[in-house]
Amino acid sequence: MAVDKSIDPKRVSKRPLAQAGLKSERLLWPTKGPGKFEQEIENLEEAIGLTTLQKAIAWAQTNSTWPATFGLACCAIEMMSIVSSRYDIARFGMERFSSSPRQADLMIVSGRVSHKMSAPLRQIYDQMLEPKWVIAMGACASSAGMFNNYAVLQGVDKIVPVDVYVPGCPPRPEALMEGIVRLHEAVNAGVPPAYRLRGVGE
Amino acid sequence: MAYEGVPGLVETREALGETTLVVDPARLVEAATHLRDEEGFTFLADISPTDYLGWGQHGVAGYIGTPGGRDINQPGSQGFAKRPDPKPKRFSVSYHLLALEVRPRRVRLQVWVDDGEPVPSVVSIWPTADWHEREAWDMMGIRIEGHPNLRRILMDDDWEGHPLRKDYPIGGEPVRFSEEEA
Amino acid sequence: MSIVERRHVVYEGSRIPSPIPTVLQPNPDEVPVDDLMRINFGPNHPSTHGVLRLIVDLNGEQVVGISAVIGYLHTGFEKTMEQKTWWKAITYSPRIDYLSFQNNELVFVLATEKLLELEIPRKATWMRMCLAELNRIHSHLVWLGTGALELGAISLFWYAFRERDLVLDLFELVTGYRMHTRYFQVGGLAEEIPPGFYAEAWKFVERMPKAVDEYEAILTDNTIWRERTEGIGLLSADDAIALGQSGPMLRASGVDWDIRRNEPYLAYDQVDFDVPVYPEGDVFARYKVHMDEMRQSVRIVAQCLERLEGMQGEPWIADDRKVVLPPREELHTSMESLIHHFKIVTEGFRVPEGEVYQAIESPRGESGCYLVSDGGQKPWRVKFRAPSFAALEATATCMRDAAVADMIAIAASLDPVMGDVDR
Repeated sequence: MAVDKSIDPKRVSKRPLAQAGLKSERLLWPTKGPGKFEQEIENLEEAIGLTTLQKAIAWAQTNSTWPATFGLACCAIEMMSIVSSRYDIARFGMERFSSSPRQADLMIVSGRVSHKMSAPLRQIYDQMLEPKWVIAMGACASSAGMFNNYAVLQGVDKIVPVDVYVPGCPPRPEALMEGIVRLHEAVNAGVPPAYRLRGVGE
Repeated sequence: MAYEGVPGLVETREALGETTLVVDPARLVEAATHLRDEEGFTFLADISPTDYLGWGQHGVAGYIGTPGGRDINQPGSQGFAKRPDPKPKRFSVSYHLLALEVRPRRVRLQVWVDDGEPVPSVVSIWPTADWHEREAWDMMGIRIEGHPNLRRILMDDDWEGHPLRKDYPIGGEPVRFSEEEA
Repeated sequence: MSIVERRHVVYEGSRIPSPIPTVLQPNPDEVPVDDLMRINFGPNHPSTHGVLRLIVDLNGEQVVGISAVIGYLHTGFEKTMEQKTWWKAITYSPRIDYLSFQNNELVFVLATEKLLELEIPRKATWMRMCLAELNRIHSHLVWLGTGALELGAISLFWYAFRERDLVLDLFELVTGYRMHTRYFQVGGLAEEIPPGFYAEAWKFVERMPKAVDEYEAILTDNTIWRERTEGIGLLSADDAIALGQSGPMLRASGVDWDIRRNEPYLAYDQVDFDVPVYPEGDVFARYKVHMDEMRQSVRIVAQCLERLEGMQGEPWIADDRKVVLPPREELHTSMESLIHHFKIVTEGFRVPEGEVYQAIESPRGESGCYLVSDGGQKPWRVKFRAPSFAALEATATCMRDAAVADMIAIAASLDPVMGDVDR
């Protein structure tokens, strides 16, 4: 896939992901060297060596990931604000938050997970169909944040395999978008979902 | 503000602009009815159970943050702070009441109970006490007598223990700072 | 003048279910009890109010039995705050009611200052008031956006969140963070008000009433909105008081009660504002109360900004070095300041023994904080009186004669924030 002609070619990076058609903001910053994540992604891409068909499937998956409505606490409010017009998530095709987990691809666990809630959370995760991804949004979902106590599950990765951890309390909408974009780039590079990486599920 | 007619009144305390009426638990329902009907406290804001296990075990010395400085002690203590006075029983249950009037009044109705001693329910007087009393049972283990639906409310139904008690551990897990730790 | 409005009677008598006031049970005389459908409106559901679980008995479309199960977001705030010093505990408080975060901080800080008997400089008082009212606007905007979204007026979500982003921009300008700002400190504010705030805030104050006009133009005379909200979720004044309701729920049932006006805290007795009261006791009345409150909050913010602009250069935090950190320049020259700073940072300041209950008017109603101190550096007991907890107790009463579609409207109008309910 060629690079979009409307962007000035001098301003676009020459790296493989850019040539593959990804339009991440970082591509428009020519003096920025590749970050660690990008290096790893490129190494992976060469190592995994996706076929064109797989690349097309990955492109389709990332361009319309439907998140499941899983807003628990304060992070849910910031998750709602990425739907709002300023931090528009519809440009990624993700504005359709699916209430039914059977039609959802991505579970953004936003907020603290109490032990009482962990059973419904796992149930929703199980009801989602493969391929499915999980973003642990915020400090509480990643590692229980500031709540090291009897009531809060110490990190949602204890019960579901997590692909991307987004730190913050709550993370800014831009931070969550960065997490989502990184997830997209990883999927496009061929990184399998977390349940396959960690050998659980399936 | 003096509320002399309250049945079962044991003590009245005034501090920081607030009035606390300590009442005998056996006569709580009478006192509550009196306060609601005669004194006009129709609004129950909150029921707060408190556990005083370990109260005053640590001496309180050093900087005291009052505008008056450190002079809150008995004579002859040479400026060293005192331990807080011991409390009559282990648990106190405070009912925060409000009279919805143009000049509103607030009062705190307080009862003291020991572990295992039940407290009569005030659901028949203020229906809002329903969930507050369930929370007192769930979190502190204060048995409420006469409550129509005394079950756990915030914790799981099969949870053991009462988390807000002082002898219940904080829980959680030790923080790992590096790969080498367990 | 009486607090309770008696001219309009919402319904006769009391509709609080018995024996359990918070559980509506099907009446065997009216409905075939064996033929009901029990549905679990589970903790994860499309309605955006967080993890509330309603167990509903349905006779066709009629709701004949309902009970609410909560606790899915219980975080153990109160026990955790007992483990932290007074300074660190302030960080936990905004996350309780995460839509009106600064009001939670405010109530905890006010209660601590009451125990300390500390005097706050007026600049801090007025700025706290300004931020609390901006927070009220924020909370009502989110309520409006999500409430309208659930009832089908989906585009209003984007309009409301457009203004909400403006409020969060103001918070970011002042405190550096959009939500959970942790700007209130025991003694005043954590930092000076940055320059440029007043200009941006005035722009917002001019923009907001027009935005509220827009929302009202979309919803208030809209037939669909009126049909879905008028006459639904009735709650009479006496029932509301008996069920411990406060805030917009109470004012929409005809009770003229507002802590800001009746028991003023901060500087609310020095500002002009009206308290909207509507006697109908239904969802539409609550909607009108919320809209009017947004307008009144803008009025209060404008008055605060006027006063604050005249207070430039005044101190923003109290001077009591036993509780408040001394200014950093002094640490180079004064030994006492260094010792104070060291003691406060390492050990934490101590609050004298006592118990106090402080109540404020949060966007949801009476938010209170009961603090018990044993004279040490950590609170002995912190209890937050959650207005949403009481609001959810009214679910059973409000949902008599409701259909399934009305259930959503009523749950939205109760304005529960599950962090507040479960703490």
